[in-house]
Amino acid sequence: MLNNKNNKKAQVGEFLTWVIATIVLIVVLIIFIYASSILSATKYLKVNLSDDSGESVDWVTSKTQFAYTISSMNKNRIQGWISQAGENG
Amino acid sequence: MRDKRGTDKILSIYWFVVLTLIGGGVFAMVYVFYGPPYDVREIESEIFAGRIADCLSRQGTLNPNLFVEEGFNQEIGNTFSEDCNFNFNVEEGYGDEIQYFYKVEFYEVTDLEYPVFSFYGGNNNWEMDCYIKKENSKEYRKLAKCTEKRFYALDEDKNQHLIKILSVIGKSEKNAKQ
Repeated sequence: MLNNKNNKKAQVGEFLTWVIATIVLIVVLIIFIYASSILSATKYLKVNLSDDSGESVDWVTSKTQFAYTISSMNKNRIQGWISQAGENG
Repeated sequence: MRDKRGTDKILSIYWFVVLTLIGGGVFAMVYVFYGPPYDVREIESEIFAGRIADCLSRQGTLNPNLFVEEGFNQEIGNTFSEDCNFNFNVEEGYGDEIQYFYKVEFYEVTDLEYPVFSFYGGNNNWEMDCYIKKENSKEYRKLAKCTEKRFYALDEDKNQHLIKILSVIGKSEKNAKQ
């Protein structure tokens, strides 16, 4: 009788250990998921086009180069103005 | 002997549950960290500006549709989007609000301060976002992304023109973390 009672107590103890271990596991997982959601930021994708030699290529700049082959008058003034792109906006 | 077999069975089911929990947890962490949103608006506005430039100038010469006998074609703004095959209603989830804006300004070499002609298309409510100084805060990240491109081209009479393109992409709901 006494032996049976002791056995049951041991079973309850073991069961509780597993329950607590599971709860700890779930809590740790939740903490990690929360931490990764805080650490994750918006990923900014940027474009960097380059030609075979590795020089960066701008689609729109090539249009200016074409225009210079027709007329390169006031080139310095034009280049100065073009290089200001994005500075005022 | 019989009892032990039952315990083993329960224990192995428990281990499967634990494994599923851990596996699910790792999946959730990776998904949350590497998952959306990916902000592609900067690339999109660059491409958009490129497409506008393509429509304005080919091999250094401006599109003849931009001009009429008296000078610039004042009506070009009404037909430009259509002529260039721009379709602003391609994405679902934004209702009727257009998520794009563009502005094209033409300058003379003699006066680089004030444009001689300009036109725009799309939703002009986005334009103001371009002039707000962007800081690295959550609210600022929701602002529209803008690209300014400048180039030089000539008309058919070999007159020099400087062109400034401003292209803007809204779409913060899908691209920026809310």
